[in-house]
Amino acid sequence: MNKQISPENRLHALDAVRGFALLLGVAFHAALSFMPGWPPGIWAMNDNSPSQFLSDAAFVTHIFRMSLFFFIAGYFGRLLYQKLGARSFWSNRLKRILVPLVAGWVVLFPLIAFIWTVGITKVFGGTTPPMPEMPKVPGAFPLTHLWFLYQLLLIYVAVIAVRSIVARLDTAQRLRCIVDAAVVGSIRTFAAVFTLGLPLAAALMSLSFWFYWQGIPTPDQSLIPQIPASVGFGTAFVFGWLVHRSSGALTAITQRWFQHLVFAVIGTAWLLHTLHAQPMAQPGLTKTLFALVFGVSLWGWVLGLTGAALRFLSNYSAVRRYVADASYWIYLAHLPVVAAFQVWVGHWPLHWSVKYPLILVASFVVLFLSYHYLVRPTFIGQLLNGRKHPRKPLPPGSTPSPTSPPPADTSNGGPVAQLRGITKRFGAVTALNSIDIEVRRGELLAVLGPNGAGKSTAISLWLGLIEPDAGAVTLLGGDPQDIGRRRGLGVMMQDVELPKELKVRELVRLAASYYDDPMSVEETLRRAGIEHLANRAYGKLSGGQKRQAQFAIAICGRPQVLFLDEPTVGLDVQAREALWTSVRRMLADGCSVVLTTHYLEEAEALADRIAVVTKGRVIASGSVDDMRALVARRQISCESQLTLAEVRAWPGVVDAQRTQERLSITATDAEGVVRRLLAADTTLVRLEVRQAGLNEAFNELTREAA
Amino acid sequence: MNTLALKSIVADSPPRGRALGAYLTETQYELTRMIRNPNVAVPVLVLPCGLYALFALLIAGEAIDKDPNVGIFLFAAFSIMAVTMPALFGTGVTLALERDMGLLRLKRAQPAPPAAWVVAKIVSGLVLAVLAYVPIVVLALATGKLSLAPGQVAALSAALMVGTIPFCAMGLMIGSLVSGTAAPAYANLIYLPGCYLSGMFFPLPQSMYWQAPIWPQFHVEQFAMHLAGITKYQFEPLQMAIASMLGYTVLFAGITIWRLKQRG
Repeated sequence: MNKQISPENRLHALDAVRGFALLLGVAFHAALSFMPGWPPGIWAMNDNSPSQFLSDAAFVTHIFRMSLFFFIAGYFGRLLYQKLGARSFWSNRLKRILVPLVAGWVVLFPLIAFIWTVGITKVFGGTTPPMPEMPKVPGAFPLTHLWFLYQLLLIYVAVIAVRSIVARLDTAQRLRCIVDAAVVGSIRTFAAVFTLGLPLAAALMSLSFWFYWQGIPTPDQSLIPQIPASVGFGTAFVFGWLVHRSSGALTAITQRWFQHLVFAVIGTAWLLHTLHAQPMAQPGLTKTLFALVFGVSLWGWVLGLTGAALRFLSNYSAVRRYVADASYWIYLAHLPVVAAFQVWVGHWPLHWSVKYPLILVASFVVLFLSYHYLVRPTFIGQLLNGRKHPRKPLPPGSTPSPTSPPPADTSNGGPVAQLRGITKRFGAVTALNSIDIEVRRGELLAVLGPNGAGKSTAISLWLGLIEPDAGAVTLLGGDPQDIGRRRGLGVMMQDVELPKELKVRELVRLAASYYDDPMSVEETLRRAGIEHLANRAYGKLSGGQKRQAQFAIAICGRPQVLFLDEPTVGLDVQAREALWTSVRRMLADGCSVVLTTHYLEEAEALADRIAVVTKGRVIASGSVDDMRALVARRQISCESQLTLAEVRAWPGVVDAQRTQERLSITATDAEGVVRRLLAADTTLVRLEVRQAGLNEAFNELTREAA
Repeated sequence: MNTLALKSIVADSPPRGRALGAYLTETQYELTRMIRNPNVAVPVLVLPCGLYALFALLIAGEAIDKDPNVGIFLFAAFSIMAVTMPALFGTGVTLALERDMGLLRLKRAQPAPPAAWVVAKIVSGLVLAVLAYVPIVVLALATGKLSLAPGQVAALSAALMVGTIPFCAMGLMIGSLVSGTAAPAYANLIYLPGCYLSGMFFPLPQSMYWQAPIWPQFHVEQFAMHLAGITKYQFEPLQMAIASMLGYTVLFAGITIWRLKQRG
């Protein structure tokens, strides 16, 4: 089933379709210098590498691109008319359509004429042939590609005139209810795709000269309305208008998008086949069939593409919004730009498959840049799109330029690294959920937590390897993505293998080359306690020795912050003690350390503060003593005859377990429980009370969080 | 340490000499690794020269004496192989392995200049290409199986060196897409058919001309033929060869950058 799409989202989709139709026009015109068999002079350039493929592709897009535009224009036309009323509608349309038509023509026509002259001179090898004269008929006028604005204005006049007549006659809205039902029904039953093209087909059949390739002859030579264009584009506009009227029509178009595209593809395939056999229409069956199938294909594309956009693009996208906004300007301004590139590359000895994309990309770059800097923030953007955008909108949460960020005051116990309100998701998994952690100068912060708690994600954020979905990461007062900040850190990661061919000394030297003021290789090796490994290849080291070498690499740059991710995994007791000594020495030198570990005694031995992370949240943080106090529980154990059920019922007892004779009690009020134990069981022996280790505290906390 | 000192560390760019030092050190050790790793070095350095000796001297020796063009054709074929193999395998397979090892992540976390490892790999690929190419050209000239003027040999050699660049990019692309164990297989899968189907090793029948431009080897060979002025084997304009090599380089490098941004 189709989900219900909100009216606003529908407009996003339809805006995207309109933008697509206009940008397709740029691609279409960019192909016209590559048409095989076109006599010189028809277009600004005849490229030396013609392409049948581009000819076919241009034909296919030309079937529907302008009708698609007029269909959407009809939809938005009625929307605007309903919203603004007649007077404001006309004032709006004059500003958005008539002014660009007149102003655009005045600016563009000389440019286009100039480029055409240059191009045609080039085509004819330096001698300019006499320019084709305008047909000597009343109303002849070179509208250029801006004809569509003129045509649109004519259609507005006609449709609104008809509308007022209908509104006057059909006061009970009976006729309009029938039309609404007919519109929805015709889309659902596919009657629309087969009948909407009939008026156009009739107009095309009546043409005495009809080149199949050009489809609806472009009305760009005259101010007098041309019959096929007026009928074809008028039908599209009116149907768009009626689709806006009838409530179920867009839903029906959305549901039938695929079938409509199938009709379009089948029809277009037949048209292409016929076109290859005979490019010029002869009176007869083929011409009739071609006109009819042309109509079906056209409407298949129009309804199919609109439906597909409604189905797949009905959400807000900043990029699509931008492109849709830009498309009007781009289409208005594109012709001289595209033609200039066509003329420029026309004689290059390159294949069309290189030149055509080149023209397209270069034109879009020029046009988008001109839009971004000359149109969007200026009155032209206001005129074309109805609003002016500030030149540099800063997205919320964006950071200032990373080149020279102001460093925060991190002296004397200020934070050297911070995560504030960080959320990070990987697909459906939330690795960190609104987490806040900070590391102060000169302290060792131990991050504890079970596997998958989010510890390594937090470290990766500080290292600038990933970016948060929400919240702010700071390292040494700025963005960790900035390489200048990262010169202040040292890192030892999990699951990293270094190049096995290199010696330990070489690895340290390589890492030291990244820093501004590194320690000497000898000093580094001595501090890490691995001078004896200096000339051994990394591949020949044991697991523990490899971790020591990695530690040496982490400290070689005299870091201000050292990130150690599970540093002592795989080390024997002696090596671990040695590494702890090295870490203490770094701390004594003023370095801050972030340590993730599974070994709780490691945290107890080294940490100033501990943050316990579970399921992406910090469930507790504080000094080692704070943590113990937070779970002020003690372990009481003794040999006693008392039953578990009895003891568990006492106040102050959190839990009780029995292993053979020995009873183990976890209590918040140890003194009270001991008094009661001694009173209740006179045979009790081997009583022992001890402070819960961090291990118990940690287990307790993570269990509560779960 | 006070705020001022911190500011000087985080905000200032490193001394230029230091940044250059990082590039040089990275490149030096990349080469050291390649040379110390016999799995890469031996086939890459020995195979093309050995095959050239076999074909050009033993099998086709008489044909070359009759028609010097045959000698040029064979020399071009095996020297393209010699320069492109280290470019492709040296960069691609090592990059894939390093991604598996987490080394790329570490380098990104460390303040390694972002382009240092790429430059190191490309330079190493080029150096290895020279090492593989020199024995062939020495052998060809010493045995008189290459009848080209010294200027032509120099131009051909320069063209071949430039021709390694698309293959470096191809290697980086493969290395960024697949795992270390799969990388040699994929590199061969893309590379070997190209050697044959580009018409590099033997002239193609006319019915297969259409597909030759698909393979980067074809354009490298065409580029070399143009620069050395060997008209007999020019099948496409020089501009087309340059544009294709450039296009492939941009395509492969683009895929690499896209992929590494996604996966790291």
